[in-house]
Amino acid sequence: MAGLAGTGDAIRFALKRDRLILPVCIAGLVGWMAIYVISYSGLYGTQAELNALYESVAGNPALVAMTGPTGGLHSLGGATAWESLPVVSIISGVFAMFSVIRHSRAEEEDGRTELLLASGSGRFAPLAAALIVTAAALMVAAAGYLVILAAWGYEVGPSVLLSLAILGFGLVITGTTAVFSQVTGKARAARGLVGVVIGVAWLLRAIGDTGDGTLSWFSPLGWAQQTRPFWENLWWPLLLPLAATGFTVSLSFWLLARRDIGSGLVQPRPGPSAASPSILHPLGFSFRLQRGTVIAWTLMLFVYGFAVGAVGNNIEDLVSSSAAFTEALGSVGGDLLDSYFASILSVIAILGAGFTISSVLRPHAEESRDRASLLLSAPLGKLRWVAGHTLIAYAASAVMIALTGLGLGIGLGVATGDFSQSGKLVAAGFAQAPAMWLTGSLALLLFGISSRLSSLAWALLAGFVLIWTLASFGNLPEWLVDLSPFSHVPAVPAVALDLTPLFVMTALSIVITAAGLALWRRRDLL
Amino acid sequence: MSAVIEVKGLVKNFGSTRALDGLDLIVEPGQVHGFLGPNGSGKSTTIRVLLGLIRASGGKARLFGADPWSCAVELHRRLAYVPGDVNLWPNLTGGETIDMLGSLRGGLDPGRRKDLVERFELDLTKKASTYSKGNRQKVALVAALATDAELFIFDEPTSGLDPLKEAVFQECVKEITGKGHTILLSSHILGQVQHLADTFTIIRQGRTLETGSLEHLRKLAASAGKDPGSLSLEDLFLGVFSG
Ligand SMILES: Nc1ncnc2c1ncn2[C@@H]1O[C@H](COP(=O)(O)OP(=O)(O)O)[C@@H](O)[C@H]1O
Ligand SMILES: [Mg+2]
Repeated sequence: MAGLAGTGDAIRFALKRDRLILPVCIAGLVGWMAIYVISYSGLYGTQAELNALYESVAGNPALVAMTGPTGGLHSLGGATAWESLPVVSIISGVFAMFSVIRHSRAEEEDGRTELLLASGSGRFAPLAAALIVTAAALMVAAAGYLVILAAWGYEVGPSVLLSLAILGFGLVITGTTAVFSQVTGKARAARGLVGVVIGVAWLLRAIGDTGDGTLSWFSPLGWAQQTRPFWENLWWPLLLPLAATGFTVSLSFWLLARRDIGSGLVQPRPGPSAASPSILHPLGFSFRLQRGTVIAWTLMLFVYGFAVGAVGNNIEDLVSSSAAFTEALGSVGGDLLDSYFASILSVIAILGAGFTISSVLRPHAEESRDRASLLLSAPLGKLRWVAGHTLIAYAASAVMIALTGLGLGIGLGVATGDFSQSGKLVAAGFAQAPAMWLTGSLALLLFGISSRLSSLAWALLAGFVLIWTLASFGNLPEWLVDLSPFSHVPAVPAVALDLTPLFVMTALSIVITAAGLALWRRRDLL
Repeated sequence: MSAVIEVKGLVKNFGSTRALDGLDLIVEPGQVHGFLGPNGSGKSTTIRVLLGLIRASGGKARLFGADPWSCAVELHRRLAYVPGDVNLWPNLTGGETIDMLGSLRGGLDPGRRKDLVERFELDLTKKASTYSKGNRQKVALVAALATDAELFIFDEPTSGLDPLKEAVFQECVKEITGKGHTILLSSHILGQVQHLADTFTIIRQGRTLETGSLEHLRKLAASAGKDPGSLSLEDLFLGVFSG
């Protein structure tokens, strides 16, 4: 097919460009899996330990909502798969999203695709190369999971199934990203849409897994989990991601054939020829740049809170089957539903810190896209500009996590007719804000040191996520758990509100923010 | 009256690369000053130091007699800048961008804005993501030219403009100088600025090679055995300075 001419060159070019980042990403994915394999093998060596794990986890609705069905926890393989499958799947999905867009839509947006096509490449070549490179990387990673699992003595058959299930999710996101890259003309918008797809996939199965399971079948992440590796070992659900990948990839090429190079199917509409007064003020302008992201995140978190709150009521049934878990809760001293909501809020706050980081780092995006010099050559002031974005980041973070609490309260109210918990849950949400601010301030500190260091903030967040997942079982050294700000938020509403850690974290965020701003003031613009 | 721009022995290192290596540049009030040098010679770096976006590693840089790094905000009230490669916010229209940039400088003259938009034939309702390089440059030019700055700094301002719009730009520059404002125009092509500028500074590899009027440069060329009438920047480099 002439449209595919030059695909080989495009692949070679992509591999050359990514010769460093691609191996690092694959190693990261395999390493993430290895962390689970190694820590589970170490922690749950005997059947008694596994049974204890099952007892403490099986009925915990928060863990079921976060991770998935717990039926396989009686075996080491099942326990490892239970925790690693969704997390590694999502991370590989995020990798696939960045990789596909980096080599297709982003290239086109920057005008390089046009050059390539002008020099004789077929119009399908860039997308085909992006898909092949991404899929190949996912496959290498899957082979890596298998090697790790086999090396630690896991049964090979179910290990293959687990690796393929994770691969399947990555491929579905690869295809989905290809479709959205045709629909919108902008890499940023495409990434946002795929992010929503991943979020919804996780949400649907969270609701399904804590309910009757139907909704889980509408989620590609649910499909991966339906294979139940090391437990029921079902192979046929792998057909679902296979079909979805085939469909989305075909659709993306079909759409590509029907649009102009350099733009999406959806053309940007003309807008006003003069600015509204709201952006004629530096802070208003900064907010305008962040508005879309703020609204999307706020809506997503509120809806998630609402969904969890609405099914929260059923949690009691799930839990009453697990004596050990009820006992464990008793020792915390809280109401069952309250501790469920507290741990949900904790997870949402960690994920929401992803927003805080990206929002604090907005000036970094402006700087690296070379738009900052246009602003900073006006009498705006370096400090005022970054401080404005930071203020927006902190305020929006607090609002969205408080609204998550409100969503929980309203959802619960709709299900039970009793809305009286809402106020308490809003406060519980707000209690998470200082930990989000602290994470954001660390991102600002990195940005202040140098533009290049800014992205390290994401590694920091990955570390907090990892600490949270491993600490859920209480088997991590205390000092390591303490490194994450989210470990210091009191589990309100299940326990009494202790304001001390919240004040300490708020004060720390202020100090670190000031340090970050001072460093930024002293450094060169990129 | 003292110089608007006064740069002496300016040094800027980026890690181990020395982008500026003792550069001198003097621009007097009311001058249109051509700032010439091949690609990578340090024109943009000098301008970024003058704008206080990066800090000099050594030497002296003064704008209106003040330090551009520590007095950035006060100095920016008195100048307007157009970068060579204009990057805009993809979701904002050209009109929104012009108004926003203008508001940062305390607002634009609406009549002047309208006049400039018509002369540059700019469609203000389009999103910046759909603009070509030339149109993005026009947006930044209108936003700068519609302000009442004392000093205008243009870094390769016409590199994306077609010849007709380049002529419009030249008219605009003449109008500004008519009002007594000062202009710094950088370019790597002498032809782009020789009809506009009255004095020139020529740099290479971060150092000033020569400065003076076009007449002065012609004389140098003649003494090096070149025909002064067909003087080009390439001749200046090849024949006069490196020879
Ligand atoms: N941020 C930077 N980091 C490293 N090197 C830079 C940076 N900015 C400019 N340079 C280098 O400084 C030199 C001068 O660049 P520049 O001022 O952009 O030249 P010009 O504008 O005259 O084309 C070039 O060699 C360029 O590669
Ligand atoms: Mg330059």
